[in-house]
Amino acid sequence: MGLPIPNSKLGMWLFLGTEIMFFTAFIGTYIVLRLGSPDWPHDPNVTHIRIWAGGLNTFVLLASSYLVVVAHESMVARNIPRAKRYLMGTFALACVFLGIKGYEYYGKWQHDILPGHIAEDDNQAMTKTLGDFEKTLNRQYARYVPDSEAARLADKRAAIDAKMKDASPEVQKQVDALKALDKQYLALRTQHQELKLQLVPLSEKLEELKTNPEFAGLLGGLEAHHPIKYGNIFASTYFLMTGFHAIHVIVGMIMFAIPLWVISLDHRWTDYVENCGLYWHFVDLVWIFLFPLVYII
Amino acid sequence: MTDGHATDVHHDSHAPHHVWYFGVFGALCVLTALSVMFDVLDIRGKHTIAGINLLLAVLVLSVATAKALFVMTYFMHLKFEGRWKFLLLSPTVILAIGLPLALLPDVGVHYYTTDVPQNSAHVTERSHTQLETTSESPH
Repeated sequence: MGLPIPNSKLGMWLFLGTEIMFFTAFIGTYIVLRLGSPDWPHDPNVTHIRIWAGGLNTFVLLASSYLVVVAHESMVARNIPRAKRYLMGTFALACVFLGIKGYEYYGKWQHDILPGHIAEDDNQAMTKTLGDFEKTLNRQYARYVPDSEAARLADKRAAIDAKMKDASPEVQKQVDALKALDKQYLALRTQHQELKLQLVPLSEKLEELKTNPEFAGLLGGLEAHHPIKYGNIFASTYFLMTGFHAIHVIVGMIMFAIPLWVISLDHRWTDYVENCGLYWHFVDLVWIFLFPLVYII
Repeated sequence: MTDGHATDVHHDSHAPHHVWYFGVFGALCVLTALSVMFDVLDIRGKHTIAGINLLLAVLVLSVATAKALFVMTYFMHLKFEGRWKFLLLSPTVILAIGLPLALLPDVGVHYYTTDVPQNSAHVTERSHTQLETTSESPH
């Protein structure tokens, strides 16, 4: 007695059973956390989640699933060259999927939407903004006092006057502007330490400094941070779900690479292609639910 | 590679199923476009739970379920498999549903206010102009 399917297929289905629990644990936890957090961030301008990227990736995975199923059909019909072409198409689409995902991750990294990096209240936002201000100043000071000589901003401040003894008037003027900006930073930091600073005045002050011709070019790229309630748990769950999904895509690519480039594909690999296909469709299934949950709702 | 069978019974996993796979793929694309359309049209119902637009959530999750059924039925060939599929998949599905259901009463839906730092945090909402500035980024 037993099941009327090949052992390998039974093994794949049992494995997929464990995978269902694996992903529903993540997705279920995400749903529960989301329901329990009334101000969960969902504005795309805050989360930098773009529906066009998710929609395009959904289409890419659906197309790849279609190619796998017709590759298996070709294997059954003993048309190996055609099966190979379809499998190559699947592999190429998996690369496209990861490319788009990488582009999205790059956006998150650029906007610092990373677990543990997000300010969740005004105070954290001000601390983070002033931290960035300090980093910017440190970078500007490093033009005159290299990091190899003084790594910390305080050490650079102490060393800069000695370094500027023989500097041209033009350089001296730039350093004076930098020191004036530094003074502004120290004043803001003191206000923050004394709990006298607020987020809106800080943002306005930064804008004022950036538009001041005296500091032109010194504050490039510095932006005031704004709080995102539940931003860190959002980022954690986002990267957990999409990251593990991306790992599954990479594993699938390895599975497809074996019959394509490692061995010589023939009809004896029909079961293998079918099982790879089952795995790949499951990866597609997970994305089908991730797309509305993460990108739309 | 091909391998032994879990039983002596001859299986028909390689028998042609006569499915119009391209049609299934087309239906899946149409359903995806439908989900995107729901979002773009900004469909809003009267009811929300924890800031979630219930109508939109029901619509897009129903579409996702329909897509999942298409994939499982035709691409994964479950339509052509025996009853073993219910035997094999039932325990895992029950356990998968069990976890969120177990967590829901405390973490997700509760009558009391949870003591998390976000509840007492002082947050200044971003102005419309600030959001427009950040949205200029393509990412």
